Amino acid sequence: MSPTQKTRLTLVSFILVGVSIATFFALKAFNANIEYFLTPTQIKNGEFIAEQRYRIAGLVKKGSLNTAEDGVTRIFTVTDCEADVVVNYVGILPDLFREDQAIVATGVINSESAMIAGQVLAKHDENYVPNEAADVVMLAQANKCNDTEGSVKY
Amino acid sequence: MKFLSTIWQFLNRSFFRLGSPREFYKISNYVTPVFGLLFLVLTLIGSYNALFVAPADYQQGDSYRILFVHVPSAWLSLFIYIVMASAAAIGLIWRMKMAYIVAICSAPIGATFTAIALATGSLWGAPIWGTWWEWDARLTSELILLFIYFGVMALYYAFEERTTAERAMAVLAVVGIVIVPIIHYSVEWWSSLHQGATVFREGGPAMPPSMLKPLLYNALGFTFFYGYILFLRARNMVLDNERKSKWVQELVNKEHNKEAH
Repeated sequence: MSPTQKTRLTLVSFILVGVSIATFFALKAFNANIEYFLTPTQIKNGEFIAEQRYRIAGLVKKGSLNTAEDGVTRIFTVTDCEADVVVNYVGILPDLFREDQAIVATGVINSESAMIAGQVLAKHDENYVPNEAADVVMLAQANKCNDTEGSVKY
Repeated sequence: MKFLSTIWQFLNRSFFRLGSPREFYKISNYVTPVFGLLFLVLTLIGSYNALFVAPADYQQGDSYRILFVHVPSAWLSLFIYIVMASAAAIGLIWRMKMAYIVAICSAPIGATFTAIALATGSLWGAPIWGTWWEWDARLTSELILLFIYFGVMALYYAFEERTTAERAMAVLAVVGIVIVPIIHYSVEWWSSLHQGATVFREGGPAMPPSMLKPLLYNALGFTFFYGYILFLRARNMVLDNERKSKWVQELVNKEHNKEAH
């Protein structure tokens, strides 16, 4: 390598290091904004402002899906196995919606830490399983909260 | 040691041979059709297995099969960026003509794969998640990648003089490489609607071999497609850039005579 080529190599390396450091700090500064959702544990710890819009994600708790007296409002509990949040939602639930399925709900959290959701999305995980082996996975998913200490990843 | 130094010398020589546009053109006469053939064979095998052999998913049924296009395209969008940025850096440091050509010819192919990844992801998200688009970390960073590709192309074609255009484009391509790790780790560093990594994750792929095999066939096939299109585009650009040189004019005359007879 000739001296000029070495100088250019150092220059390119410096540009890369500089841009990486700048990006690192920019992302660090916006960290909370890049997070897509809050977990039920964060709601329990009071990391929210009442009457503000948030997204929360968690598993639909077993046996928690009910319909309110008005006949259209669906009420269910979302859990990360450590804390629960009650969600009220008027609308069509996604196809994948069922007990122990991870979902993302967007809406306003009221002063009683319950969410009035305007949108409910299903969140599928990274596991792909053929139909024949589905029972084993479904069982593992149903017992997710029993098998783990503390909060669960989804 | 002697063996290693022989290999090193061979690599070094072929690197600088490929660096000459004329040598590249000669080599590409043979390499281009091979890449095209490999693309056809691998993608046909992969797609057949993806559609007819791989089992349906327990949760998503048959709609998960869009993954066999979505995932290879998304991988390629990152892989092509890495190739483009490396070529741009080599061009900046060694002032190598061919490196710049590889970089600028890669940009539209990378942009296309990024657009395919975004579009198929959107089509997949609509029935499974219940939404076409969400501003989560993975989706947003992939969209930024598309804009960086556009920026690299726009910068190159904005300058009259070629050397200026090449250098400006190369600097942007090198700087933009920071988006690649951000896209890859976006589902780990932040919470997202997009799923985590299925294939490249701790503890091995979270899918059975019957699904993994067609995915890898398609990924390899798509990579050869990139190589095929890259070589076609690079050949054109070499001829255009070197149109005043003797070897190109001889080539043109030869083709011309062939047509006349």
